[in-house]
Amino acid sequence: MAILNITYNGLSVDYPREIDGNLRDHDIRRIAVELVRSGELPGLQIANLSDDAFAYYVVDRMGPHAKGRIYLRPKVPFGTEG
Amino acid sequence: MRIVFCGVGALGSHAAMACRNLEATLRLVDFDRVESKNLLAQAFVKPSVGKNKAAALKLQLHNFHGVRAEAFGVRLGANNAAQLLGDADLIVDCFDNLASRAVLSEFARAQGKPLVHAALAADGRFGLVRWDERFSPDAEDEAGQATCEGGEHLPFITLLSATLARAIEDFCRDGSRRDAIVSLSGVATT
Repeated sequence: MAILNITYNGLSVDYPREIDGNLRDHDIRRIAVELVRSGELPGLQIANLSDDAFAYYVVDRMGPHAKGRIYLRPKVPFGTEG
Repeated sequence: MRIVFCGVGALGSHAAMACRNLEATLRLVDFDRVESKNLLAQAFVKPSVGKNKAAALKLQLHNFHGVRAEAFGVRLGANNAAQLLGDADLIVDCFDNLASRAVLSEFARAQGKPLVHAALAADGRFGLVRWDERFSPDAEDEAGQATCEGGEHLPFITLLSATLARAIEDFCRDGSRRDAIVSLSGVATT
């Protein structure tokens, strides 16, 4: 099992219940869309979130899958401003 | 201790300024020049416009804060990484592209050098500080994707830079390597 953290729209929220740590990245993105739509993430509800909202997001897995953390986050390609 | 800041634009310039209290030699590496638009989001002052960023920040650290630093106004690549990073005790990645980040990771891993990365999302609302052993660089969604323009994300950029500076301070004090994510919700260690 693992804790899922989702960052969207500038907000970073932990899903209060554990999820299967062995889920594939594709499934995590799909589940995240449903969680944000349904309001199960405290402070982060968007009822009409599009199906592909997390299509370009990165899935980071920290710690052992058995009891780790999974972060679904935007890409961070930048360090400076040109 | 010698800390090498690779890239002193938005994140690197603010982070280097926030590290001026450390008992360390700060080395600044950046080939770019200060443009007037940079004054809104980076730690440069108006008289620095037109100067190389590394040289300008070195001057500002000395003239305004009495801190001596080293400046190299060159593009860091595989051909000069050993010269610029060989005597570093800590490497700080504030670059803005995957290729340059990869050069740093390759050098640091080969030489066993500590390396910490800071990175910002395109919309300027999410960033992370992550040590190299847990870092994979992200590519742009589209080639040539615009970075944060102007000064609209300045408060967030300084928050992320301060988080990076704090990670550097912790490392200097006791060798700890803490990761963090930064969002509009705040800063969380990971």
